[in-house]
Amino acid sequence: MRRPISNRCKHLASLCLVLAVAGLPVALPAQGPDLSHTLAPVEPPVTAPGFRLADMDGEMHALADYRGKVILLNFWATWCPPCRHEMPAMERLYRRFRDRGFVVLALNQWEDPDLVFAYTGDLDVFPSFPMLFDPQSSVSQHYGVKGLPTSFVIDRSGQVIYRAIGGREFDHPEILQILEGLLAGPS
Amino acid sequence: MMSLWRACLLLVVVSRGAMAGAREHVDPDTGLSRWETDDRGFSLELVQVLPDYVRAVYASRGLPQTIIDSVSSYCVFGTILKNHSASTLSYNAADWRYVTTDGRTHRARTKTEWVDEWQSMGVAFRWSLLPEQQTYAPGDWGQGFTTVALPPGTVLDLHYGWEQGGVKHTGIIKGVRCAPADIESL
Repeated sequence: MRRPISNRCKHLASLCLVLAVAGLPVALPAQGPDLSHTLAPVEPPVTAPGFRLADMDGEMHALADYRGKVILLNFWATWCPPCRHEMPAMERLYRRFRDRGFVVLALNQWEDPDLVFAYTGDLDVFPSFPMLFDPQSSVSQHYGVKGLPTSFVIDRSGQVIYRAIGGREFDHPEILQILEGLLAGPS
Repeated sequence: MMSLWRACLLLVVVSRGAMAGAREHVDPDTGLSRWETDDRGFSLELVQVLPDYVRAVYASRGLPQTIIDSVSSYCVFGTILKNHSASTLSYNAADWRYVTTDGRTHRARTKTEWVDEWQSMGVAFRWSLLPEQQTYAPGDWGQGFTTVALPPGTVLDLHYGWEQGGVKHTGIIKGVRCAPADIESL
């Protein structure tokens, strides 16, 4: 049996709609499952397609600039609940390994830097890794990304070796162990 | 002999129950429903999405009014799929069927069909809709809108399927309802 909803709830629902129209980070109707903690090996590894994209300040970043590092490449958007959910774990991961040749590159899809800046300011922890803008989603197409979030791990030689479709708890011990192994390799 | 018949009857009931074993949950805040089912490590969840919410999502992305009106005229579900099995699986939502109470069969309009239409309008946006085909490694999951050209409140059975280890599996979620036209209708 369906239960009637109160006026307060109706107002709350209306508020969510207004916030969504304003472009603020409103959760989709369901948060989805808990974040996973697996990375699927890409077999055989493939050469990571290159790109050159601007960050929030308009500074250009090329993938080639990061050759020799282990890269977590993350495709995301502000409206995507699991993207928001996994962002703090990516920041913790970055802080943990950034002095050992690790970088996170978060490629925003379609959105405006002003919107993303407002969004990141609303997060509990402000991301300190590069946020890059892929406004026409052309890079995501080169990587075969069908849905958000999708992430890839690129090794020091520029090979895509792991893929993750959907949100991840990136500082889970299983993922930390994989990255520890990669970072221990030759640079 | 009688107990054997009873056992057979019980098996039939269990089998039908497994096919239609989705659990419905009603959000206490919004009154909207969602249905979730899980079989052999493939989980599927459908969430009612109001037309106003769809309009808000696309308007906030700056998409043209024709696109906003077009998508929000469909029956839209937030759809969440997950592979929590130990092996790779794949699905093709273009093959899924939506059977209404009048016995008619409908198919979803796929993401590819929407994106092709948007590209012909010069719009490169290709997100928010569930990809109709994906291969998920263990732990992979995804979510997005699925759209069926049916009026608000339509009751239907979703016949879905997926493939795992070379074996095709199917399932049915019975009695799913498209979201109402507006929240006041709940």
